[in-house]
Amino acid sequence: MEEKRLQTLIEEIWPRLKRKHLYPEIPIPKVGKVNDPPDEGMEKNDPAFRGVGLEMKDKQLTINPSFLSTMKGKMSEENLIEALLDHGITHYTFCPWDFQTHLALYAEAKKVMGDKETAKQAATHFIDVIADTHCVKRRVTEIPELHRNLKKGAVEEVIASLYQRIWGIDLGISFSKKGNEEVVRRLARIPYLDRSRWTESIRKFSRSLKPLLILEQKEKESGGGKGDSNPLGEHDLNHYSYEEIDQGLRDYAQKTMGLSEFKEVVEDFSAELKEMGYGIEGGMGRGRGAPIDADILFYMKLAENYSIPLKKIPLEEAGTLHPHSHSPWEVGSPFQDIDIWTSFGKIMPGITQIWKKKEGKGRGKIEGAPDCLIIIDSSGSMINPRKNLSYAVLGAACVTNAYLRNHSKVAVYNFSDAPMGGREVLDYTSNREEVYRTLCKYFGGGTALDLEDIMPMIKKKKELDLFIITDMKITNLETLIGFFGKIQNRITAVHIGENPYASRFEKAVEKRKNINIFTVKKKEDIPHIILGSIREYFNPIHKAR
Amino acid sequence: MKNGCSKKKAFLSPQQEVRAPLINPFEEFRAFQFKHTEIPLDQIVRSTEVIMDQIRLGYEKLLEEEAKELVWMVQYNTIIKAYEVAEKYVKEIDYSAEDIEDFCFALETPQKVPYLIPGPAGIYISALCNYAKEEEIVLKLSELKTEINLIGFRLPRGKRLMVEGDTGDFTGIGLEGGELLVEGNTKNWTGAGMRAGKILVKKNIGLHTGEWMMGGEIYVEGRVRGLGNIVEGKVYERDKLVYPGKARFPNQYY
Repeated sequence: MEEKRLQTLIEEIWPRLKRKHLYPEIPIPKVGKVNDPPDEGMEKNDPAFRGVGLEMKDKQLTINPSFLSTMKGKMSEENLIEALLDHGITHYTFCPWDFQTHLALYAEAKKVMGDKETAKQAATHFIDVIADTHCVKRRVTEIPELHRNLKKGAVEEVIASLYQRIWGIDLGISFSKKGNEEVVRRLARIPYLDRSRWTESIRKFSRSLKPLLILEQKEKESGGGKGDSNPLGEHDLNHYSYEEIDQGLRDYAQKTMGLSEFKEVVEDFSAELKEMGYGIEGGMGRGRGAPIDADILFYMKLAENYSIPLKKIPLEEAGTLHPHSHSPWEVGSPFQDIDIWTSFGKIMPGITQIWKKKEGKGRGKIEGAPDCLIIIDSSGSMINPRKNLSYAVLGAACVTNAYLRNHSKVAVYNFSDAPMGGREVLDYTSNREEVYRTLCKYFGGGTALDLEDIMPMIKKKKELDLFIITDMKITNLETLIGFFGKIQNRITAVHIGENPYASRFEKAVEKRKNINIFTVKKKEDIPHIILGSIREYFNPIHKAR
Repeated sequence: MKNGCSKKKAFLSPQQEVRAPLINPFEEFRAFQFKHTEIPLDQIVRSTEVIMDQIRLGYEKLLEEEAKELVWMVQYNTIIKAYEVAEKYVKEIDYSAEDIEDFCFALETPQKVPYLIPGPAGIYISALCNYAKEEEIVLKLSELKTEINLIGFRLPRGKRLMVEGDTGDFTGIGLEGGELLVEGNTKNWTGAGMRAGKILVKKNIGLHTGEWMMGGEIYVEGRVRGLGNIVEGKVYERDKLVYPGKARFPNQYY
């Protein structure tokens, strides 16, 4: 009954709130149970109890009725709800705005704090200060009144005092500790509303708040409890949808281009990512239980930023293809298969659909992408992809995506000193994770191919593309040249750096029209050169342009 | 089709012909008028930036005068001269201790300060500390990638400088009675030529510690890598007096 009344109240104020925040794309907030873990040894009726007032989950704001009842008599219900919603909405409309920003802020805080929990706390406080300050400056809000009435711990008291100073509103805070005054003075100099300086600002924010956060953390640990929850809602991954997390990880990998940084952040959030069903097994990792392999996830997300159009070749099939069912279109998937009628005339991932074709009866030649065998060198002269960003693995990952998007299969031959057992072979598969896992394997030994391994993989396919990426310092290079001279498959060879072996290879195969060689002098250029060149190679129209 | 439409129009009664008033679909946005509201934060940030610009300008002038070729040699004369120039610019600025810390971080941002020349930078920071209004200055420099040299140069009596993080060579040289606390390591020539005051290093200290030291005390909670030719003063290593005492050879590794 009470919840129904509160819901009606929200429905009444929601149009005004939407208008105030310039019509954010957020569903109407709800009143209901929120995840509010009770602190051990503290009753909800205890005056020192501070519950969660607002929960933000996948863009749905939920108001906790028990929190409202604890604030009874201090603020009018309407003002309290409005303040909570102002705060929640501003997280979506200003800070953190998206998952990538959240990750970037957390990563910067971690650099200062050195510890996962305190870094999360620092990021949470920073995001809250920005959201509330933005709201106070740009909108008419009851947020200051809310802060005046909230129960505060040591850190919250410092932050409330910061608000007093930077908003110019009395929140009833007076300091007894001299040190805290210095902290507030430092915090007040941060340009919270300047988005372009957020990374620099959060470092300063964390640096100033570090002693207090460490102290609070220690108190929590000694108390054995989880400590007080944030009354304005926790900033965890529940905030975001799968798609936002996907996009955020992709952008973050692209922005940092650093494996160790990405790995650290993913590992810090691994529990939450797993909780959301974001393992590495099964599609985009929506299976539970499997540990998150941050290295593979890094290459996966980074490779998603590039797309390679693949020129199809006539393939002999047992029958002609006919449209059978629909599947979502991704960037890089063939345009010609788009079903415009069910895509509302739009080319947009998430809306556009493509026809999935099935083979019918009869025989004939149809256009299609062949399967691909990726031969990747993981000898000692190559970068270990699990330690540093390996452009060889990234290049191979982009090629994998291109073939898999065209419904072809990919096999991997990862070699170092193959005759001595330094190799890993993955048979033709359309399982992206398996391919990535094999690509990321690093042997770090000598460099020799074993054709006995490769021959059967080529022979069992009538049409097959070959992609080899190496520095060409292969001890049995002549054998490889001889082998490539005999086969007619399309071959893309990418070699890193200029060396006599690479020149020898180039000279030996220069007359072969089915072999295209790309030299990469600067390792950093690999993704671009490979992708651009393959585009030319597979799609002659680009070359003509 | 066209004919059909016009026929339809002909059958409309006069009342039907009166069109319904047009509704502006953006009507709701009319109420929104952007008001530029000012909060104290804006003023604080603006004034901080103005001060930072002045500090940066002073540093650039120091470089222009003392490191024209962007080369600077650490010599007694060059240090004294650079400090005099730094003093001249610093005296004109009204800044706080937090501005000094911000300047240290700005030194690592080429967009803000194009040249970081360790010697003049350290002397300039020392001058800023010596002329700051506050008696106690805390510089939280743990995340700074560069270790600042010459920090604490001529720190006067009554001033206390606390540095969180490591510092470079020539830390606390020519100390003039102030108290310098480094919550990290310091490199070589720490406390060289100091006359009075106290240097406390929480971790380790490098070679030539206290070279030509005339007075004062150096306390090291870690290890002293090597002592310099000390004239007068005291050096403690983990609460143990190492100078004067059983004299160790200067710069001996132990």
